Amino acid sequence: MGSGGPGYGGVAWATLPGQLREGGPVALELNKLTGQVVAMGQALAQRSDELRERVDRARETLGRTPVVTDELRAKIRRAREIDEWRRGCIPLGNCLDERCRPVVQPKTFTLIAADGSQVYPDRHGIAAYFLLNTGTIVLRAGSGEAPSVESAPEIFYADEDLYDADGQMRTPEYINAQRSRREIAALAELAETERTLLGGDLSIPIVCLTDGPLLPWQGQGAAHDGTLSEEIDFFARQMRRLRAARAIPVGYVDRPNSAYVLRILELADLPPEKITRESLRRGPFLRLSDRFLFDDLRPNERGALFTPNSETNDRYEQASGGDRIVFTYANMSRLEEARHSAVARIELPKWAVDDPTLLDTAQAAIFTNCEPTSYPYVLARAHELAVVGGAEKEGLEQMLFQAMLRNGQMPEISFKAANKLLTGGGRRK
Amino acid sequence: MATPTIVGRVLRSSTTSFTVGCRQLISEQDQRVPEFGALVRAEAKDGNLIYGLIANVTIEDDAFVRQLVAAGVESAEIIEDQRQKRQVPIVVDVLVAGSGRALEVYHRLPAQPPSTLDQIYLCNAAEIVRFTERHDWLRTVLAAVEAPADQLLISALRAAAQARPPDRREAYLIAAGRELAKLLALDLARLDGVLRGVR
Repeated sequence: MGSGGPGYGGVAWATLPGQLREGGPVALELNKLTGQVVAMGQALAQRSDELRERVDRARETLGRTPVVTDELRAKIRRAREIDEWRRGCIPLGNCLDERCRPVVQPKTFTLIAADGSQVYPDRHGIAAYFLLNTGTIVLRAGSGEAPSVESAPEIFYADEDLYDADGQMRTPEYINAQRSRREIAALAELAETERTLLGGDLSIPIVCLTDGPLLPWQGQGAAHDGTLSEEIDFFARQMRRLRAARAIPVGYVDRPNSAYVLRILELADLPPEKITRESLRRGPFLRLSDRFLFDDLRPNERGALFTPNSETNDRYEQASGGDRIVFTYANMSRLEEARHSAVARIELPKWAVDDPTLLDTAQAAIFTNCEPTSYPYVLARAHELAVVGGAEKEGLEQMLFQAMLRNGQMPEISFKAANKLLTGGGRRK
Repeated sequence: MATPTIVGRVLRSSTTSFTVGCRQLISEQDQRVPEFGALVRAEAKDGNLIYGLIANVTIEDDAFVRQLVAAGVESAEIIEDQRQKRQVPIVVDVLVAGSGRALEVYHRLPAQPPSTLDQIYLCNAAEIVRFTERHDWLRTVLAAVEAPADQLLISALRAAAQARPPDRREAYLIAAGRELAKLLALDLARLDGVLRGVR
């Protein structure tokens, strides 16, 4: 644990350029918040002390019981049976506290990243539509050349795109799933193209990055209505394409909030007969994150490998014919002090970690690319290419406005949206 | 005929100057574009031409590039990405120096400025020779308030000489120098500065 207690794990707010911190005119009456902010400051300090104490306890538990015994594995199974929504994981190795660094350091490699953004349908807007924009970058490290970058915007306005079978407007979860599909499919396509451009040369590794977890995420309802299966099948197909192109897919989760390993540690001191739904949901390390546990990883060091014990992962295993998503925590900062650590959760398919060279290659490539800012440059750029800002959205709506006029329609926004435009600039008294 | 080199597209414009956004410091034809003092032209839909001299080139920054500079970026690929592919434009200020139509050149301001997003082309040697054949444009540049007029004049005159065959360059510069001597007769120090710069 660093001297400052459990860290924010990111760029210090105070170091951000002024214009990023200072917004435009605000309607919030700050004077009315003075008392609450003082109380909040005190509460945060207390919470930080309490957090530090519990992180120390978690670390002590890890130091005392690092070995993955048969008993521990049995407890993990039992906990899953009792509480299926408990987000636990299964260790792949025999030691929870393993640390290692890549032994390979490729000089030449290709990093591909994809990131998507969306504009959700607005029932107060001039027309019903949603927009997806996928940004991609292919950076050929060691070439000295500028990377290839692209963004692919798509607009959806047809009834079958906008409404589900029951005539309901598509939910944000559906649109997010479409965005995720495009990200993973873009990675597969670019990986195939790159491998072809390399003339099939397998000596140059290709590492494909997504921003966030690899597995598709769906709300709890999706697991039962078939949506999740469709997403998993699509995902499994793209993963197969990536594997065929000998590309290593990686989900990069910056400042992860997951507590998979802590969920294991909670079981360490819990006798099997005391594993109940209540005891699991009142675990001693609730509201902590694994990244606090691993913020003493040294630069470019990673911890042990685990596989999430989740239904989504089980379904992927089924759909892929035996593959699973696994993860490790790794420190992407170049600075030695724990308070500067940049712990990321790195997710890969199991076939990639079964070959230690592939895992090492992926980690080393990402660490190299994290050099300037402790975050993958390719992901920052893919995001920049994808993001749809207020000005771009306004430009798109202007185009749409003109197109509707040309077709004899008079675009209208709702009374609510019109009033928001009038009052949005700040409050008057 | 060779494809004209594109400098960029108009961001904003007025009768006396306009600003162009471009993405790279090297053109697709591998030329160093934009260069200070270069003669450029815009072409309106009705065929009218607007001539101008590149009077300033600004490479914009943003929070991302500042962060990379502060962190001491070393990767060649990242540096090239920032230079060639970022969505932050290079901003080129152009002083309007004349107008024209087809092969005609007028050393007077155009009736209308170029329009938003008009393409701006680099003038080739023949166009530079045609534009600088008479010396009336020197007066427009000397009168420029917001541009570094003397330095702009020096660069533009050198480019104009360079556009001519080697055996005609000196004669051209002498004739232009005579014109300048008339225009700057009351400011000999300034005249001396410009002539030294051209030499």
